[in-house]
Amino acid sequence: MRSLDESREILYVIRTLDVLMGSGVGLEAAIHSISQGGYGIISKDFATLMENINKGKPMERELRALLKKAENDGYKRVINTMLNNVTQNTDIIETLRKQGERMEETRTEAVKEYIEELGGVPETLLSIGMIGPIILSILGIAPQLMEGAEELFGTMNQGTIMTIVNAGLFFTLAGMAMIGLKAHTKDPGL
Amino acid sequence: MIFGILEMFRNEPLLLFIITLGVACSIGGIPPIIERQRRRSIENDLPALLEALSDSLGAGLGLQQAMMAEADRNNGKLGKLLKETLAESHASSFDAALSNFATKSRSSQVQRVMHLISTAIEQDAPLRNILADMSRDYERLNDLMNRRESDLMGRSILIIMFVSVGLPFLIAFIVGLFAPRNQGFQLEDFNSSFTMFFGGASLVAIGVSGRMLGRMRSALWWAPLWMAVSMTIYHVGVLVIGG
Repeated sequence: MRSLDESREILYVIRTLDVLMGSGVGLEAAIHSISQGGYGIISKDFATLMENINKGKPMERELRALLKKAENDGYKRVINTMLNNVTQNTDIIETLRKQGERMEETRTEAVKEYIEELGGVPETLLSIGMIGPIILSILGIAPQLMEGAEELFGTMNQGTIMTIVNAGLFFTLAGMAMIGLKAHTKDPGL
Repeated sequence: MIFGILEMFRNEPLLLFIITLGVACSIGGIPPIIERQRRRSIENDLPALLEALSDSLGAGLGLQQAMMAEADRNNGKLGKLLKETLAESHASSFDAALSNFATKSRSSQVQRVMHLISTAIEQDAPLRNILADMSRDYERLNDLMNRRESDLMGRSILIIMFVSVGLPFLIAFIVGLFAPRNQGFQLEDFNSSFTMFFGGASLVAIGVSGRMLGRMRSALWWAPLWMAVSMTIYHVGVLVIGG
């Protein structure tokens, strides 16, 4: 969930950092501006980071702590760029621009992949959602249909069969939910 | 037959409750659809507005003048909203007008753009280039969002129609045909289990199709109605086919 939130906001954070730092604002002031809100989980992270810096903790250590906390690759790369800027005085603006472009390409690819991967979800969902209940419905009425043919098929207790049917229906529903979960976990975060 | 169906509803208090809830929730589901259409219309117009503003700034106009000119030119919802906001902003600062415009749009895209414009003005950053970059960014983003919508809408409708309509009809047909009630088949427990299953399956189908389109919360408003539809189709189907 955190990774999804991060991926949703990171591109806008990069653009804002680009605007701020490109116009001469320092890294700390740019982080402070983003920490004011509007960028979801990243704003919260930066707010915590600023709070600790204001308490006297070094920025380098805080950025390293944030790097450990981050889950999304793009977010990790941005924090790493900030860290390099703090420790080695690298050209952060140029790197952020390149990262932004690359991330945009990645996002476009992720959306295409998402659409392709979800192409099979309706079919899988319908296969499980239809085959399961069809078999279970026939099984459920079987004891009454087979009445009088005990010698051929053996005795079938309606109560036991209904327990099996109920369990089967529950598992079918759980299976459908599990397949549907793919739509959530693979979300590209638009 | 009609009286038989009405009688069936009388014996199913849960189904009656879900039908009532479904009707009530579907009324609650309409405002999110209208709001989404409005918001997407604004967001789809945003790249063109940013591009026009960038061009106007390049031609030497100020941002406020450029916005006023664009508000006059743009006939869409965005232009109308911009015109309203600028008209109301005579008594306040331009920055306040931008914030007001962002709030009124109720769109996170517009809010981000306005925030970035305010920051750029504050920092004396090259606004023309920033607007051109943002126009390109948001055009790509909106293209992706529109593509996701158009590509997945059909699949999402397919899931709902098959799970909430096709499946209960098919099972009702099988049960009604092979175990008709008028021939003495006892199916109370069986029908009760399958009714609950169809309700649950419809809920899953609505959740999945809503999530596919990236709007599960607003889709869930329609869940009780589709649950009621699928449960009713099964009950009525068994009654009509099985007698």
